Amino acid sequence: MVKLRAKCILVGDPAVGKSALSQMFRSDGAHFQKNYSMTAGVELVVKSVNIPDSIDSVELFIFDSAGKETFTESCEKLWGQPSVLCLVFDVSSEVSFRSCGRWLERVRAHCQGLQVPGVLVGNKSDLSSRREVETAVAQEWAQSQGLEYHETSAKEMENCEAPFLSLAQAFYALYQGQLQTIQALA
Amino acid sequence: MIDTALSSSGTQVVLAASSDENYPPENIIDGNTEMFWISTGMFPQEFILRFSNTVKITLITIHCYNVKNLKIEKSTSNDATDFQNIAEKEFEHTDGHLQTNDFSLNGTSATHLRFIITSGYDHFVSVHKVTVEGVN
Ligand SMILES: Nc1nc2c(ncn2[C@@H]2O[C@H](COP(=O)(O)OP(=O)(O)OP(=O)(O)O)[C@@H](O)[C@H]2O)c(=O)[nH]1
Ligand SMILES: [Mg+2]
Repeated sequence: MVKLRAKCILVGDPAVGKSALSQMFRSDGAHFQKNYSMTAGVELVVKSVNIPDSIDSVELFIFDSAGKETFTESCEKLWGQPSVLCLVFDVSSEVSFRSCGRWLERVRAHCQGLQVPGVLVGNKSDLSSRREVETAVAQEWAQSQGLEYHETSAKEMENCEAPFLSLAQAFYALYQGQLQTIQALA
Repeated sequence: MIDTALSSSGTQVVLAASSDENYPPENIIDGNTEMFWISTGMFPQEFILRFSNTVKITLITIHCYNVKNLKIEKSTSNDATDFQNIAEKEFEHTDGHLQTNDFSLNGTSATHLRFIITSGYDHFVSVHKVTVEGVN
């Protein structure tokens, strides 16, 4: 049995629902914050994820980072050597989607050559009448960047665990690959 | 000169920051490079060796994989406190074989050594063997 630990950087524009997502994930859907309360630095959320069909788990240390520009620089100080990346936009905001490339670049600057699995999350899928970003478009961009795409609604408790589960599994796969490499050396 | 970093000579690993029970930190001091300890994610990572007696160290050799930056500290107390920095190095990346690195020291005495891996060439780093040459 092994318990891995992964540093998960959670980024995206202000108010896209990063904190809502991480809180829903942490509380298993018990806690949705309706009123917007801006994150002013980094909020650490820790949660263990069991890897299906194994007795192993990954403990995610989620660095829920402020989306507001003025706080980003101080957040970045804590992003060194990330394990995995969760990039969020709001499907009802084209602007938040267009920012994703910039967020990705910013996080990658801290990866120091490490291969960092990532997901792109289109949140607020409940706002279907106000949707500005089509699933296919987001999906295509995600693929071009090597990210896995998920759509979620923190408000409706839709699919909130999926992005984190997939990150945990990707990290676990890296561990197993590395173990094989090292066993072959010794 | 004797190798004092061996479990057979009474040395123990008293702490490791992470562990997979199939690859325990004791593998670092079992005297061979085949068995290893592997970190299980995030940096820094560390482990502490405790000698059965105070040792005057002349050479430390570490066999590892994917380690980038390593710091070594020593303590001369009996309860593993007051660590002082004694060496620091950036290792070269190797592909397909282990990294082997030496640290020459001029007989500095220690009861404990603390190895701190501050960064790696991969998310996961392994340490296969540490040897410590010195006199009791
Ligand atoms: N309709 C809808 N609203 C949501 C959803 N997720 C979050 N919200 C709302 O969006 C607002 C912003 O959510 P936060 O989670 O605070 O956003 P954030 O990305 O953490 O923002 P910063 O901390 O400023 O970067 C809040 O009022 C939430 O209630 C969702 O899935 N659907
Ligand atoms: Mg927030």
